[in-house]
Amino acid sequence: MSGVGNTKVGIIACSGEEMPEGTITRQAALEVLHELRPHRTVTICLPLFLAGGKDDRAFARLHPTITVDGCERRCAERATARFSGGATESVVVTELAEELDLPASSGVRRLDDAGRKTSEEVALHISGLVDELMSGDSGTEEVSADEGGLAATGTQSSVPCACGSSVPALEMEVGGRRLELTALPLVMEQYAEKGLKPSPDLAATLAREARVYNTLPDIDDEELGQALLDAYQRDYVRNARKDAPE
Amino acid sequence: MKPDSVAVIPCSGIGKSLGTVGREAAYLVAERFDAGEVFVPALAPLVLGDPESVDELFGSAVITVDGCRLGCARKTVEECRIPVAGSFAVMEAQRQHRNLKPQGVRELNDDGLSLAEKLADEIAEQARTLIREDRSDPEEVTE
Repeated sequence: MSGVGNTKVGIIACSGEEMPEGTITRQAALEVLHELRPHRTVTICLPLFLAGGKDDRAFARLHPTITVDGCERRCAERATARFSGGATESVVVTELAEELDLPASSGVRRLDDAGRKTSEEVALHISGLVDELMSGDSGTEEVSADEGGLAATGTQSSVPCACGSSVPALEMEVGGRRLELTALPLVMEQYAEKGLKPSPDLAATLAREARVYNTLPDIDDEELGQALLDAYQRDYVRNARKDAPE
Repeated sequence: MKPDSVAVIPCSGIGKSLGTVGREAAYLVAERFDAGEVFVPALAPLVLGDPESVDELFGSAVITVDGCRLGCARKTVEECRIPVAGSFAVMEAQRQHRNLKPQGVRELNDDGLSLAEKLADEIAEQARTLIREDRSDPEEVTE
């Protein structure tokens, strides 16, 4: 994978507020996100799936996800399957604790020592899964615009996800840097289907979407938005003309 | 129908400080009441509309606590067709206490804990009102 385009793993914790294992899922997910694999993971809010978090649903559809459940009810795993096509890996704290012979935990607001220890073990286990998921080939493969289904505004490539799916990417130059923006062709295609017209607001939205799927430090939001809008405008105009009745 | 207990349901947000403030406030409220009077159920099974979890809430008054304006907790509860007796937003509490700047997700800073306490005060007041309504029989009112 070239440039700063990147594929991340989404972690979806059940966060079950009523039991220590729920707190463990949350603490372990945050440990992975902030300490153990900060550049390779994002967290996805489970309730956002239901509340209409389009970005979260789309991310989970396009990226590998690990669900972390406190108990055998497996709410995170089931919700991910229902709203976003299924998790790549799933972890259940009670099962892992039994497997590793860890002592029972207590405390929901504050975990006891056993809970903290279990949380650390769960975090290490998740990190191992993240590494496994990210260890696949991450090269790019050039595809023609026709194959990609969109006009060639920049070069389109496909970024193989660690989950095995191939996510189209848009290669373009922003502020003198060559970027490969994962998933943006899909996003633009959806916007074009909805008939969204190019506008300054859409530029900001596209920039925001780009940051959902890609790590883009040191890239100016305005420049990014404008470059994406230009690309979208060319796509949109081309597709609109192509689709217009003759 | 009058409630026999109060469920305080925070939004489960784990990415930002405001979600942690909401959750902390919910736990604080539960700690201020006798066991069973106020409880903090998990939101995740409600996201799935789990019938058992939904059934457990009937008979209780439900108060939701959301970190941001997306209102995931409130929306999820409403989606389960459970009436929401009160809804609180951490963002609103922060607006009322602009001097407090919550930081931290795993562990809140002092401002975050203070904001959670203030929010808990408001939620507890409503919970008390709801429980008093439940105990409208004069013999049971001790205050």
